[in-house]
Amino acid sequence: MVFVAGRIAAAIPVLALVLIIVFLLVRAIPGDPAVVLLGPGATREQIAALRDQLRLDLPAPQQFLEYVAALARGDFGLSLKNGEPVLREILLRLPATIELTLMAMFVAVLVGVPLGVICATRANGPLDHLLRLVSLVGVSIPAFLLALLLQLIFASYLGWLPVSGRTSALVTEAPITGFAVLDAMLRGDGAAARSALAHLVLPCAVLAAFLAATLGRYVRNSMLEILGEDFVRTARAKGMTRPRVIYVHALRNALLPAVTILGLKSAEMLGGAILTETIFAWPGIGRYMFEAIRNRDFPVIQGTTLVFALIYVMTSLAVDFIHGALDPRVRRKML
Amino acid sequence: MHGMGGLAHFLRSNRMASFGIVLLGLILIAVLVGPIFYEVSPTRLNILKRLAPPGPDFWLGTDSLGRDVLARLLHGGRVTLVVGCSVVALAFAVGVTIGMISGFAGGWLDWFIMRLADAMLSFPSLVLAIALAAAFGPSLENAMLAVAITLMPQFARVARGQAVSVSVKPYVEAAVTLGLPRGRILLRYVFANGVGPLLVQATLALGAAILQTASLGFLGLGAQPPAAEWGADVSINLDFVRSAPWVALAPGAGILLTVMAFNLIGDGLAEWMDPRRRAVI
Repeated sequence: MVFVAGRIAAAIPVLALVLIIVFLLVRAIPGDPAVVLLGPGATREQIAALRDQLRLDLPAPQQFLEYVAALARGDFGLSLKNGEPVLREILLRLPATIELTLMAMFVAVLVGVPLGVICATRANGPLDHLLRLVSLVGVSIPAFLLALLLQLIFASYLGWLPVSGRTSALVTEAPITGFAVLDAMLRGDGAAARSALAHLVLPCAVLAAFLAATLGRYVRNSMLEILGEDFVRTARAKGMTRPRVIYVHALRNALLPAVTILGLKSAEMLGGAILTETIFAWPGIGRYMFEAIRNRDFPVIQGTTLVFALIYVMTSLAVDFIHGALDPRVRRKML
Repeated sequence: MHGMGGLAHFLRSNRMASFGIVLLGLILIAVLVGPIFYEVSPTRLNILKRLAPPGPDFWLGTDSLGRDVLARLLHGGRVTLVVGCSVVALAFAVGVTIGMISGFAGGWLDWFIMRLADAMLSFPSLVLAIALAAAFGPSLENAMLAVAITLMPQFARVARGQAVSVSVKPYVEAAVTLGLPRGRILLRYVFANGVGPLLVQATLALGAAILQTASLGFLGLGAQPPAAEWGADVSINLDFVRSAPWVALAPGAGILLTVMAFNLIGDGLAEWMDPRRRAVI
């Protein structure tokens, strides 16, 4: 309990600084933000109204306090493009992003951990070199290029999967949970569930590729470190079989740092979600942010940036808790 | 510390790293020497020959405006390498200076700088880069500045760690006792003895910087037309990719290979610094 409270207390100053950074984004716009955002042709009244909405006429510290107070009331401001409340629009799109990223995380663990173990146990052999090269491509390829390649191969040439979108146009029922696959299954609509899954495959593969490759590289390295330690040699010397030493003793220890990496990198994956959602026309918050950039819709850019940061902070807190629960040494060290 | 001769030997014996060095060498030669022999303008429009497939006239074909894809690839590569190096140089200079001061000074300044770094690292780096680039306004210089800012806290963290561990060494304490100027102690002793891990960080950051700037270019927040830049070149040709894949795949492959070369070299350097990671069973 003390450990949990301590971690949360440590996150508070960081969160305050996160809020300041997001607040300062509008101030980083060169010139008068209201004039820049509205573009040429804006009337005096429009500029005055926007200055009022962005609270630009108040002194900076007061602006900041009012901004935070509004956030606390759930008021993320109004979109400059269509006047919709930003928070409502974000919440509407959040399930699509969560569905995509959770699925990608699941696939990445399923692929990345065995990848790392195979490489470490055959270190510097031909299979290790081949798989390391594959995972190197995975971390080096721009998300938009991988997305493009998969679209070309699996959607355009082979025609196995839809090019983009989230559900086929036939689905018109109101969402239950907001998760397309789950909703279809809850309705018992097999065809819709299959369609939703088919739409999920390519964007999920793009996001998972980066994470699986990163995870594979870390698991390989931490396995190699652990396989060189004394207790591994002792276990082997006692006559324990090599598979038992690798899978029971070494892997359990190697997975601890992997949990940390998974947490941090899956949050980092949210950045990749902006590119992936944009290319696959996936209606999540990443694509919402991209559209906002095109329109210089700053309340939306601020809101999505803040939500991404909040998800990141919460994920790393969760990772710390899991890590602490798995390894008592961490609990002591972090206090 | 290992000597530079040891490093050269290690990189030669490490197959992945030597592959990275060869790859980077080839890219450098192509990009620096290539345009001298292949004298085609990367921005000349030729509407009659738009989307021409690769052939003897246009080695890699033409794009949707009839511009030569190979010429744009070579010129875009120069942009990419300059971008990568300047972004990392800026992030390194600012991040390392702040980190060294933070670690050497300690106290509330150290606490505040590190919390600020934590806060900046609380954003997925691409999200922060996009938000900053959107605020500064779309241009290549602003995109570079945005990416450099997101890389700074990483350098500051590593530099601070190095400064903290070096500043308790007897020779630094002796220098403080002797009354040497603080700036000189920082540079001559703290920086000089902690520079190794920072260089590894910088090599890996080169790949990240190129990837991030290309992503901003792809989203329209980087280089503006008609300049040749790999990320932007992929996105402007996106609508034609099904009929003429070369227009987007060539610049995409350029990004992939360059980032891969830097990652291979960075991995090799990291392995050299940390012998525990050199293979065991």
